[in-house]
Amino acid sequence: MSVWNYVVTAHKPTSVSHSCVGNFTSPNQLNLIIAKCTRIEIHLLTPQGLQPMLDVPIYGRIATIELFRPHNETQDFLFIATERYKFCVLQWDAEKSELLTRAMGDVSDRIGRPTDNGQIGIIDPDCRLIGLHLYDGLFKVIPFDNKGQLKEAFNIRLEELQVLDIKFLHGCVKPTIVVLYQDNKDARHVKTYEVALKDKDFVEGPWSQNNLDNGAGLLIPVPAPLGGVIIIGEETIVYCNANATFKAIPIKQSIIRAYGRVDPDGSRYLLGDNTGTLHLLVLTHERERVTGLKVEYLGETSIASSISYLDNGVVYVGSRFGDSQLVKLNLQADASGSFVEVLERYVNLGPIVDFCVVDLDRQGQGQVVTCSGAFKDGSLRVVRNGIGINEQASVELQGIKGLWSLKSSFNDPYDMYLVVSFISETRFLAMNIEDELEETEIEGFDAQTQTLFCQNAINDHLIQVTANSVRLVSCTSRELVDQWNAPAGFSVNVASANASQVLLATGGGHLVYLEIRDAKLVEVKHAQLEHEISCLDLNPIGNNPQYSSLAAVGMWTDISVRIFSLPDLELIRKENLGGEIVPRSVLLCTLEGVSYLLCALGDGNLFSFLLNACTGELTDRKKVSLGTQPISLRTFSSKGTTHVFASSDRPTVIYSSNKKLLYSNVNLKEVNHMCPFNTAAFPDSLAIAKEGELSIGTIDDIQKLHIRTIPLNEQARRICHQEQSRTLAFCSFKYNQTSMEESETHYIRLLDHQTFEFLSTYPLDQYECGCSIISCSFADDNNVYYCVGTAYVIPEENEPTKGRILVFAVEDGRLQLIVEKETKGAVYSLNAFNGKLLAAINQKIQLYKWMLRDDGSHELQSECGHHGHILALYTQTRGDFIVVGDLMKSISLLVYKHEESAIEERARDYNANWMTAVEMLDDEAYIGAENSYNLFTVRKNSDAATDDERARLEVVGEYHLGEFVNRFRHGSLVMRLPDSEIGQIPTVIFGTINGVIGIIASLPHDQYMFLEKLQSTLVKFIKGVGNLSHEQWRSFHNDKKTAEARNFLDGDLIESFLDLSRCKMEEVSKAMGVPVEELSKRVEELTRLH
Amino acid sequence: MAAEEGSGGGGGGGGGDRKSSPAPTKPGGGGAAKFLAGMPSRGNFSSGSVSSSLGGFRVYVCEHSTDPPEGQIIQTDSTNILIRHLQLNKQKSEAKDSGSRTPGETTRGKRSAARSLDVNNSAKRANLGTSSGSSVYDETISGFSQHTLQSFTVERLRALLRQSGLSTKGKKDELIARLRESQG
Repeated sequence: MSVWNYVVTAHKPTSVSHSCVGNFTSPNQLNLIIAKCTRIEIHLLTPQGLQPMLDVPIYGRIATIELFRPHNETQDFLFIATERYKFCVLQWDAEKSELLTRAMGDVSDRIGRPTDNGQIGIIDPDCRLIGLHLYDGLFKVIPFDNKGQLKEAFNIRLEELQVLDIKFLHGCVKPTIVVLYQDNKDARHVKTYEVALKDKDFVEGPWSQNNLDNGAGLLIPVPAPLGGVIIIGEETIVYCNANATFKAIPIKQSIIRAYGRVDPDGSRYLLGDNTGTLHLLVLTHERERVTGLKVEYLGETSIASSISYLDNGVVYVGSRFGDSQLVKLNLQADASGSFVEVLERYVNLGPIVDFCVVDLDRQGQGQVVTCSGAFKDGSLRVVRNGIGINEQASVELQGIKGLWSLKSSFNDPYDMYLVVSFISETRFLAMNIEDELEETEIEGFDAQTQTLFCQNAINDHLIQVTANSVRLVSCTSRELVDQWNAPAGFSVNVASANASQVLLATGGGHLVYLEIRDAKLVEVKHAQLEHEISCLDLNPIGNNPQYSSLAAVGMWTDISVRIFSLPDLELIRKENLGGEIVPRSVLLCTLEGVSYLLCALGDGNLFSFLLNACTGELTDRKKVSLGTQPISLRTFSSKGTTHVFASSDRPTVIYSSNKKLLYSNVNLKEVNHMCPFNTAAFPDSLAIAKEGELSIGTIDDIQKLHIRTIPLNEQARRICHQEQSRTLAFCSFKYNQTSMEESETHYIRLLDHQTFEFLSTYPLDQYECGCSIISCSFADDNNVYYCVGTAYVIPEENEPTKGRILVFAVEDGRLQLIVEKETKGAVYSLNAFNGKLLAAINQKIQLYKWMLRDDGSHELQSECGHHGHILALYTQTRGDFIVVGDLMKSISLLVYKHEESAIEERARDYNANWMTAVEMLDDEAYIGAENSYNLFTVRKNSDAATDDERARLEVVGEYHLGEFVNRFRHGSLVMRLPDSEIGQIPTVIFGTINGVIGIIASLPHDQYMFLEKLQSTLVKFIKGVGNLSHEQWRSFHNDKKTAEARNFLDGDLIESFLDLSRCKMEEVSKAMGVPVEELSKRVEELTRLH
Repeated sequence: MAAEEGSGGGGGGGGGDRKSSPAPTKPGGGGAAKFLAGMPSRGNFSSGSVSSSLGGFRVYVCEHSTDPPEGQIIQTDSTNILIRHLQLNKQKSEAKDSGSRTPGETTRGKRSAARSLDVNNSAKRANLGTSSGSSVYDETISGFSQHTLQSFTVERLRALLRQSGLSTKGKKDELIARLRESQG
């Protein structure tokens, strides 16, 4: 690897921090807006459900979002504040489909202590000002003028230093805030202030309330006319207002962090607590006077971070710790007493605490197994690139040569027959009443020969094409209606048909075009081509789904693909493919409204062209390699969208996203033929012919990454894979909450790496928790072990002073404890090291030897160690070198000296970075992530002139990722084809708290320079939403310093080149001096890294 | 029960309560049942089954300019809160005295500071070539009084200078001097 790194997101953030509902995209449309760390998702509420609209990247970590309606506006504006003190106000321009910036700015102060309890951003309900609490003791006001424009911001001194929440009160003449705070005796109170905009100061407000619940943490302002505020505590909920109304009710102890208002008048609220329980809070009132509070249990959801009531009893529950959900509140409780019905789950990988890369097929394509979720929503997630096919049924069938599905009548929504063609016969399968597939007959069809094509045709006919004839059969009587015979001496080689047309090729380059007219097959046109025809297609892509005005033909000898017009069979266009490999399959298709011609060759390469459906013009030629064997192409539809299936030795689904063609491999080894088979019993299924087998399966959602969830109901913290025992082992813990006591129990668990079945569990001692786990073997011992490092976390201790190293062997699918060794602290990290075990124990690095005792048992014997860290949290090794990530002393490099049997420090980075993960890119360069969401690389200065310089790790790259990285691992999510250029680029995968899986690729220097130029050009063409600056966003930033990003490239920005409109692409290409095709090709190659 | 009626009304307020389910309490339907009636509805999620496949997201690529309208790049007033407070107070009291006031003892200290500064910068001032010097101490000229100018922020002074087409460089006292020169 090198120090020129390319950082790209493979899986976008999924943990939801905020959500809100309003009329954002139009005065009559209701939108749900979801904030996922660095992205905003805009959904539209429709009678059918939530319709995704836009996924908007934001150049910042979103601290708050809020919808508001300035005076004289008909739709809501969106206020976004980022953690780095930028804010913007966005408006949706429906005409241009653009997000306009209404205002933006910087709200940072030169001095000031950032708040401990998170940034607060609120907007006055009467839209007089935006209030921000960003620094202790300061309240920032951005006033609106009477035209709804923002004016210069100013600070007001806020006496309360430990603020927990601030909200605006409704229905006040002057803008009034209510502040929930903690005093220096740890008691909590609320206080109100009026904001005097003219005097730029607070005026003591109308009321206050002292000595609240010690756990009070959330304020809910109640809309006018009731007014006032609800204060949510851990044991009580209190309502108070200006008229000294004070109502309180006790609740079962819980921490409520999320609420959603149900009624516009504020009489009902949904509350979500830390155990994932959803409550309904009812404010009973008589006229405008609140008479009491009631809390009712509704049911169980994911642990909510945000709750938005949508409409008609449907609620969005956003979560950081588990999957976000769309739930319906039913009027009647179900059997378990729950009123909550989960309609949909939105996968969330966050927080990814740890992960491992497992390469089951040993083909270089890893799947990532993450420790995701927290508390009861903890799970393991298996993330794999590609699309999964879930087999529903299969039969053994040898020698399948073709596969088609037929409906019993033309307008039937479901398929009925499956036509399976063999070398000298054709068999027909049909769904019987019991939804079983059984063999049947279609009398009019020829079952004695191989079928070349089958199709439902208009007026309830079926078409069968064989080598000798084309047969038209009635659906109802199943009898032959008409027949076209191949001329004597010629046989049909290839054929294709649609509902009303048949195109076939006989030997000698004859192309015959038939139409179905009044239950007759009419030969309309015949053409003689100079070469033999290898494949053809007339899938309708125009407006008429039953008739195509274009046909595509692939040729032998001159290796070309040609477009003919129908019905006159005129050659419109000829495209030479070059090379010597014959096209084996052509397909005309329309994906996302864009027409394509796909042409697959016999060597697994695929050409794609943009096709003008009217003129037949071919543009934008692209070539990709999908496999090594001949490909056959077929369209299918899943969830109402058309996709293309490419059968070959590496079956691939071709789909369109953002009007770009994307290729996703399928979890099947080799597929010869595929046809869609949509029946009542197997809706949206595919029939798949593999070697010696016919199977029917459903296909996963068409997306790039396939995620499988293994729910644990407890939180996994560390995971590792052991290939030899075909297992995964992980450390996890479970919260036990009995009536009074809270306790945690920690376990080591063993799973089968293929089925994810639980095999064995080893419970740890009381207070003992698993901190690290690896799979390793030792010198002079052939066995492979799991080594687990633990810590005893005694509540009274600041730092653990005791821990254990446990060595397990997997025997008969069980964890057998072989050796245990006590340590003087927490074992934060373990590494296999020169046939020994390297442990990071509190501030020390310790090396253990694996010693054979006289009695044949083993023990871990301390060999040497190295002191000098605050807490050595992360270690990585390579050869004799050890890289240590310290709690707060950045990265240091140690070396193990065999002769002296000692570990010495070789060099260190003298910056004070609080590390969250480290990895060695190669012998010289190391990467680290720190807790202000930055990445940096350091390099060993081996050839420096002085010792001083050699002792210093030189910082060579800096970058603001905006994500908290918990783990780096070498590996790749995609198949590495050894022949491709991209296959040579080493990559590191990282996982973050918000559920991001990212890739860091080390580029060769020339490619880096080229892409750096592209990035700096793109910055000029792709603006930051809300006018936020890309340069500022990616600049390395922590408490100590801010520095421009260097030696890192933002892959997400670079790859968005492919989403640009054609004219913008051309502008970029002009600015770069590189043709668009060349640019697209180079960027597309990069997208294949993930 | 009052709550239920109230909430039903709330639903209606949301626009066309289409659901308007018969809202009687469900006997034995659990604690929350009676409070769940009459959820606000505006016609969304009304089809029998909520479909999960309503298309995918379009990733937003911002090809257009995102510059905010003029004057909507918001900055924070950088004046110290205490000073701003004093200035505001001063302005207020001044507004009360409606300008009839001669410079009182309160401003003397400040003026002497201004004078000492003035001495230091006299060379520079001479270069400007106008009859500055003493005019600094004149009380009222056409525009603002020395006193008022002193109370203005540098920002505001600069704005005034910009209006008069003068240079906005220099320290506060220089700015004031320049303003007064132009006014004088």
